[in-house]
Amino acid sequence: MNRALRFSFVFALLLAGAFLVMAHEQPLLAQTTTPQAQIVGTVHDRQNQPIARADVQLRAEGSEEPLAETRTQPDGTYKLQFPAADAAPRILSVQVQRSHFAGQTLPLESGQVSRLRAGETVALPDLTLLRRVGLAFWIATLLFVLMLVLIATGKLHNTLASLFSAALLLGISYLGGAVSEDFFVFDFSGAVRYVDWNVIFLIMGMMIVIAVVERTGIFQWLAFFAYRLSGGRIWLLLAVLMVFTGIASALLDNVTTMLLMVPITVQISMALGMNPLALLLPEVLASNVFGISTLVGTPTNILIGSYAHLSFNDFLKNQTPGVLLAMIGLILYTEYVYRRELRSSGQISPVLLAKLEEGARIREPGHLKKVGWVGLGMLVLFVTGEQFELPPAVTALLGATALLLWIQPNIEEMIEAVDWTTLVFFITLFIVVGAIQEVGLISFIADFIGALVGNNLVLTMLVIIWFSAVLSTVIPNIPFAAALLPIVTFLSTTVPGADNKVLFYCLSVGAAMGGNGSLIGASANMVTAGIAERAGYPITFNYFLKKGFPAMLLTVALATVWLLVRFLVIG
Amino acid sequence: MPGIVCAVRGGPGSHATVDKAISLATQKGLTIYFLYVVNLDFLNRSTITRIHTVEEEMREMGEFILLTAQSKAEAAGAAAQGVVRDGVVSDEIVKLSADLHADYVILGRPRREGAENVFAHDQLARFVERIEKESGASVALTDPGSGQ
Repeated sequence: MNRALRFSFVFALLLAGAFLVMAHEQPLLAQTTTPQAQIVGTVHDRQNQPIARADVQLRAEGSEEPLAETRTQPDGTYKLQFPAADAAPRILSVQVQRSHFAGQTLPLESGQVSRLRAGETVALPDLTLLRRVGLAFWIATLLFVLMLVLIATGKLHNTLASLFSAALLLGISYLGGAVSEDFFVFDFSGAVRYVDWNVIFLIMGMMIVIAVVERTGIFQWLAFFAYRLSGGRIWLLLAVLMVFTGIASALLDNVTTMLLMVPITVQISMALGMNPLALLLPEVLASNVFGISTLVGTPTNILIGSYAHLSFNDFLKNQTPGVLLAMIGLILYTEYVYRRELRSSGQISPVLLAKLEEGARIREPGHLKKVGWVGLGMLVLFVTGEQFELPPAVTALLGATALLLWIQPNIEEMIEAVDWTTLVFFITLFIVVGAIQEVGLISFIADFIGALVGNNLVLTMLVIIWFSAVLSTVIPNIPFAAALLPIVTFLSTTVPGADNKVLFYCLSVGAAMGGNGSLIGASANMVTAGIAERAGYPITFNYFLKKGFPAMLLTVALATVWLLVRFLVIG
Repeated sequence: MPGIVCAVRGGPGSHATVDKAISLATQKGLTIYFLYVVNLDFLNRSTITRIHTVEEEMREMGEFILLTAQSKAEAAGAAAQGVVRDGVVSDEIVKLSADLHADYVILGRPRREGAENVFAHDQLARFVERIEKESGASVALTDPGSGQ
């Protein structure tokens, strides 16, 4: 199978997967609404979160078969059609069953039964199902922890680790479930329902756009332009490079930005006769900080935005000012930390300058112009799309397709540029995180954190920001953020004043800026270290910790101040 | 074409190796072939698909690193050329030495204990033997703290 065909096949498969899931939802949504008597109600869990896909049955005492049955909707509601023919004077009850919950039976009072027989609709009180910790709970929990450990220790590639856990979860659910129901976590359609296709398509679209952008040579040109702009003043070069890297990271992904900025930065530093680390460290720190200023800047923002329905504008309005504040702090910090290294004459020999200029030229000016127009169009759609309920994923796909049609690059190279391993990582990660949601681990953690923070919004904000920031220095932040999202959703509904989604911005700040705390905190750090090492300037774990951890504390503190002011003072 | 092969990575760790090559070249009147090897092993754990673009950038960086070494050699009166290759560092050193029928290969000793490559203390002797056997060049080692 050639690559173009393979691309079409995988793309079609992804589309089919998304539509299948949507189609699968339809029967649940479409319940009959004949004007006969109905029993209606809502089922939720202890955190007052709706329970979807619970089996609800109307039963009569002494009868094996249910009189009526249905399943709860995503909002936890149900409607049971009362059979008109049932006139016998029997004791009736409503039974609710759901995997990983203890079942409940609600007997109907005689008055309710009489009203039903008179053709009226009866609303039952809300039913609260309690979690049941069984074998499936431990299986899902262990496989989630195993995935985190495998990723954190580097024993397996991220994608392989999440694929392994997801495959094992489904295998155990089906094969073990055939032996005993205790093994059952969820079925295939239940697992796929947890996959956020908006995230998958948004990442895929942006990957194609990035693949076109990176070939134009714009990053290299920007870095050299920063040198020109600084006029040989190294302190200014540092600040300009940080701002350029930050802006690029806010619009594209951090890893790509660093992959392309590091080699040219190394060359500029060597030409200036200074230690490249004095420019590289500030660049990658800026990349991790500034990336969270937009919806598409980091994978964690994409996850959070899609889950919490935060638009591009929401991030610009509520997050960007805090990021700018953190950037100012970061620039001042790095200028101070590297003050000795920044003392350079700023002079470059003509031979090296000529070589730098040659490497920093725009390679595809025609393409760059087209990328500029399409990028502008995408920006307009990201900003205004909210009014047309246009998902960011559609904007990314429109932009990617427009670029491919207009530039007509080698399609095979574009296919290779789509990082399928990352997409598979996200799909399987959603399934593994979905499993711990399904079995109730997330509910227990939410309960624990809820009890810890009580009704105190400031405390909740601080706990989420700092807990996620510190943990993100050692734990990969994508699976961590994905697991925290349902917890943050719960806290947003229970903590007074948190319904404005402030806690999601707290998670965004903590999960991404926390990556600056250590070398392994972010992929961009690792890539930067890898290239720097190849240039003879290794970045050790301790070196990064010494420079990065204080930067992380400073930037997270400044972003925290902004979020407190934005949501508690300005309102 | 006889000469001296000197693999460089850049950074302070390569200074002694470059200096030794320059000194030997001026003494013997030989041309130095500075070698930079593009190796993207560090991307193995990342999900990076745009290897081609990264490779190009690394190649540019390698050429620049070699240019700084060449400038230094030329300033000292030694003839020097830069060679950028893709692959495994040790293999490329051997291959270039054999291709050029080099007289000398300058190698740095490991800077840190526990380095897991052919420049590590326990493997260096075997690597020297391999170079001499496969290319016929003599290997000169620099002081600890230098080399690629």
